[in-house]
Amino acid sequence: MRLRAVRASFAKATTAKQALILITVASLPAIGEGIYFRDKISWQSPIPASELVTVDQARAWGDGAIWVDARPDEEFARDHVPSAFSLNEDHWNELLPQLLPNWSPGKKVVVYCSAESCNAARDVAKRLRDDAQLTEVFVLQGGWEEWVKTKR
Amino acid sequence: MKTNILTFALSIFLCVVARAELKWEQNVIDLHPAVGDKTAVAHFKYQNSGTTPVHFKSVKASCGCTTTQSQKEVVNPGEKGEIVATFNIGDRTGQQMKTVTVQTDDPNPSQATTVLTFKATIPQALEIKPTFVYWQSGEDPKPKKISIKASKDFPAKNITVKSNSQNFESKVEPSKTSGEWTIEVTPKDTSHPMGTALLVQSDYPKEAPKSFYVNVSVTNPPGAPAVLRPNAPGAPAAKTGTPAAIPSASPTDR
Repeated sequence: MRLRAVRASFAKATTAKQALILITVASLPAIGEGIYFRDKISWQSPIPASELVTVDQARAWGDGAIWVDARPDEEFARDHVPSAFSLNEDHWNELLPQLLPNWSPGKKVVVYCSAESCNAARDVAKRLRDDAQLTEVFVLQGGWEEWVKTKR
Repeated sequence: MKTNILTFALSIFLCVVARAELKWEQNVIDLHPAVGDKTAVAHFKYQNSGTTPVHFKSVKASCGCTTTQSQKEVVNPGEKGEIVATFNIGDRTGQQMKTVTVQTDDPNPSQATTVLTFKATIPQALEIKPTFVYWQSGEDPKPKKISIKASKDFPAKNITVKSNSQNFESKVEPSKTSGEWTIEVTPKDTSHPMGTALLVQSDYPKEAPKSFYVNVSVTNPPGAPAVLRPNAPGAPAAKTGTPAAIPSASPTDR
C-alpha cells in the first residue's frame, strides 16, 4: 500500500518535471525570436483604457458626442453610424473642414474603424488630438463590428 | 513490427526531404518616400528553397491604403519572386507601419503564415501647429497665432495664405529664422458660428507649389446642436481638390 503511494507520487513528480522541460524547450525559440526582433518591429502599444469608449457609453452621450468614421470612403458610403462624419487619412485635408464646424468645446469625439483589430481609428484620434488639438477624443471599442452587433 | 518501423522511418524521411519552404529576404522593410510622393512601394523578395512547390492561398494587407501584388500563384522549387506592396500615402504624415499577411499551403503551420511589415516615414513638409484654431461664439475676436516650420528637406522661402471666406483676416509674418513663419488669424466677428479652411501655399517646389490647410472656426456655444449635416447616407466622401470654404451657419441653423 505504502509502496503504491510512493510510486504514485514519484510518477506525479516525473510528469511535472517532463511538463516543465517541454514548456522550457517550447519557449526557447519564442524568447530567441523576441530578442532577435526586438529592434526590428515596433508594435503599437495598446490604446489606454482612458481613451476607449464602449458603444453603450458613447450612445449615452447623445448630442454631446460627434461620431467619426475612420474607415475608407467606400465602406463609409456603404453604411455608417447615423450622423457620423467621414474622416480618414486618405483625404484628411478635404474631410477635416467638414467635421470641425460641428465641434464645440465640451463635445466628445468618438472615432471608429472596422473592428477591434484595425488601427485607423487610433491614428485618426491621435491626429485629432495632436494636430487639431481637440480634447476628449475617444476610440470606440470593437469599432463598426461592435456597433452593428449591439444594434441588433 | 519491422514494417511499422520502416513505414515510420520512411514517413519521417519524406517529411524531412519533401519540404516546401519559402525563404524571405526581408520580413521588415523601411520606406522613405520623398516630400510629395503619392505612393511608397515595398518589394518583399522570396525564394522557394524547398523541394516541393508552394501555392499562395492569400495575400492580405492590414489596411485599405495598401494594395498587394503577387507575381505568381505557384512557386516551384528554386524559383524566386516578390510580393509588391504599394502604400497609398494620401494625406498621411509621420511614421506609418502596415503589414501584409501571406498564407501558403506549406504543411508546416509555422511556415504557412508570414507577416511582412513595412515602416514608412512620410516627411512632413511643413509643420503646422495647431492646424485648427477657434473662438467661441461671443468671445472677444482677438487674433490667434499659428506657427509654421519647414522641414530640412523642404526649402520653402515664402508662404502665402488664401481664404474663400471674408469672415476671417489673416497675415503671414516671417520669423527671424529662415523657413519659419507665424500666421495671425482674426475673425471679423464672433456673434455666430462660422468656419473656413485657410489655404497655405509654399513657393516650393517651383513647378508645383504644395498646399496645406489650416481650419479656423467660430464654434457653437458648448452643448449646442451641430450646425452642419454630415455626408448624407450613401454619399461618397470628397476625394480631390481644394476643400471648399465651410458654409457659414446662420443663427437660424442652430
